[in-house]
Amino acid sequence: MTSTKINRRSIVKGGAGAAVAVGSKASSVFAAPAVIQETGSTIEVTYWASQSGVNGEAEQELVNMFNESQQDVKVNYQFQGTYEETAQKLTAAIQARQVPEISTLSDVWWFKFYLAGALQPLTEYVNEAKIDTADYFESLWNEGVREGVQYWMPFARSTPLFYYNRDAFAAAGVDESIVGNWDTFVENTEALMVRDGDTVTQYAFGHPDAGSYNAWLFQAVIWSFEGAYSEDDFTITIAQDPGVEAGNFYRSTVADGWAIPVEDHTADFGTGLFAAIMASTGSMGGIRENATFDWGTAFIPEKYTFGCCTGGSGHSILATAEDAKKEAAFKYIAFASSPESTAFWSRRSGYMPVRKSAVESAEMQAFYDENPNALTAVEQLPKTDPQDAARVFIPNGDQIIGGGLEQITVNLVDAAEAFEEVSGILQEEAEPIIEQLADVEG
Amino acid sequence: MADFSTNRAIVFQRSLGYLAMILIVLVIGVPIFWMLSGSLKTTQEIYSTNIQWVPASPRWGNYADAWNAAPFERFYFNSILITALGSSLEIINATLTAYALAFLRFPGKNLIFVILLAALMIPAQVTILPNYVFFGSTVFDLIGESWINTYQAIILPGASVAFGTFLMRQSFLGLPREVIDAAKVDGAGHFRILRDVVLPMGKPVIVTFALISVVAKWNEYLWPLVITTTQEMRPLTVGISYLFDAEGNNAWGVIMAATFFVVFPLLVVFMFAQRFIIEGLTAGATKG
Repeated sequence: MTSTKINRRSIVKGGAGAAVAVGSKASSVFAAPAVIQETGSTIEVTYWASQSGVNGEAEQELVNMFNESQQDVKVNYQFQGTYEETAQKLTAAIQARQVPEISTLSDVWWFKFYLAGALQPLTEYVNEAKIDTADYFESLWNEGVREGVQYWMPFARSTPLFYYNRDAFAAAGVDESIVGNWDTFVENTEALMVRDGDTVTQYAFGHPDAGSYNAWLFQAVIWSFEGAYSEDDFTITIAQDPGVEAGNFYRSTVADGWAIPVEDHTADFGTGLFAAIMASTGSMGGIRENATFDWGTAFIPEKYTFGCCTGGSGHSILATAEDAKKEAAFKYIAFASSPESTAFWSRRSGYMPVRKSAVESAEMQAFYDENPNALTAVEQLPKTDPQDAARVFIPNGDQIIGGGLEQITVNLVDAAEAFEEVSGILQEEAEPIIEQLADVEG
Repeated sequence: MADFSTNRAIVFQRSLGYLAMILIVLVIGVPIFWMLSGSLKTTQEIYSTNIQWVPASPRWGNYADAWNAAPFERFYFNSILITALGSSLEIINATLTAYALAFLRFPGKNLIFVILLAALMIPAQVTILPNYVFFGSTVFDLIGESWINTYQAIILPGASVAFGTFLMRQSFLGLPREVIDAAKVDGAGHFRILRDVVLPMGKPVIVTFALISVVAKWNEYLWPLVITTTQEMRPLTVGISYLFDAEGNNAWGVIMAATFFVVFPLLVVFMFAQRFIIEGLTAGATKG
């Protein structure tokens, strides 16, 4: 027994000693080998993407087209999950120092990586490749520009649209032109309601919840009331008079009984529960498939003025990649937003083309003749403005505002109260960002 | 008179029992039925505001669509590999460690057990980032390539779970000491005792734990999601997330069909393992 005990003890001691010895030696012996690229060989870059389902297939085809068209660069397309999941994985990857060269980043996530210094400035590559930046729609291009340098190239971009049920309008005897202005729309909401005894089977309008980006859609509304979420210097303005008026307008839609808040308003629009909704142009494919009635699209309604924002996602190159790989990565990004590619992507996905020349091309003109609803977002695009800092630059700003809107549409809280609270939270969350921004941009 | 009231009591208790069983069957069964029914519906039927328990005309095409929408053969292969290797490792580790904690004497035994208990209280989510950094950065520094997006990275963090060790240790401590002492007197070494005495007597617990482990590994989502970057390495649970549409217009019929692909193998396992579960639950319920 004694000998067995000693044996076991010595094994344990010896094992611990060996582990320590190996550990300390390994870090000095096994240095990471440098990746050497021979000239003339194909450079491989990794691309992390967030498009799934039908859009994912279209994007895979786009990558294949790029890989087959030349031999210098091979893009490895890797789906990582939703916009949120991709951004979170990218954060972990940066910590673990295993970073892809290209990543898809959504409108509310790219700024966080910019502030952390993780994004590569792209203007140099843009100039070298002699890209015609004037051919991009201004609002789409400029959203990724900080201090004159481009960090976030547009790719899958969308705007909110006003979708309406033409059959329901016809049945109610309501002219379609009333959707141009909130006042005229409100006048006709009673006519657009359908009741079966005491239950309402068709509401005039429907609101989504925070998870379905109601804060993005409301941004257009608050702008049409001549308000805004914030100013460029992060002054929070959502609780000022125009914002409160817009918020109370939302409250009245539910309090007066002609609109209700739901979780998935595009699905309910497709089943005929709502005569009209605001939703992304990216939802058009799904509505086209599910709606059993004739439907149309229009610009976001005006109030005192017209207001509309953009959304979606774009491409960025990560700053940690090697120079040769960054150049190769930019070749793909430039390809993805070239006129031919953006036309292909737009036709397949429902997102808008990011290039003016793509819209004017013969292919797209023919496509729009067959699908007039797809043209609305493109015609609305020149009238759009960059999004407010409070939604896209403050972490979680979108969900904070969305929560306040849920208070208004679900709990019928007065907008002044709801927005006061939202404003307070936004101001708190903005402080570290303003500091970080001062460090980065001076 | 006494007989009559006892009869009523028995009938009353029995009805309560049946009522509880029916309730539980409904709570567990209705969502599964809904999933199966949904997998045969068109998207319009699913989104309609009237509840349709049985689809008007079953759309079997959903299953074909689901299978073709993503590389399911690969997902199945990955899931089976991860579950088989992961569960085997977990069971072996748990059994050996529990044996040591229950039957051996060595310095620091109590300290190790306390650390084990402490590990039980750490939520898995907390370990995600440290593990990721380890497999990426630390492993890269050690051997020159990272282990992100590899099978070993998916399996190793779950290869030893405190829960299994704890469960087995408690069970082994409850085994009759006389049998083990008798084996020792016969000159049996530790491995013989483990193989011939402890394992047969502890079979119910081991099988129960094996089932828990298999189900947990098969259904694991968060860690494989984080550690894999390509579709070829992903198990079923992560793979079906490719079918979701970012814009919210999901083809729920296809997704339900895909979910059935994930659930089906476990149902088969449970059907075969039923005998062991019942054996394990009722072992010791009757004497002799």
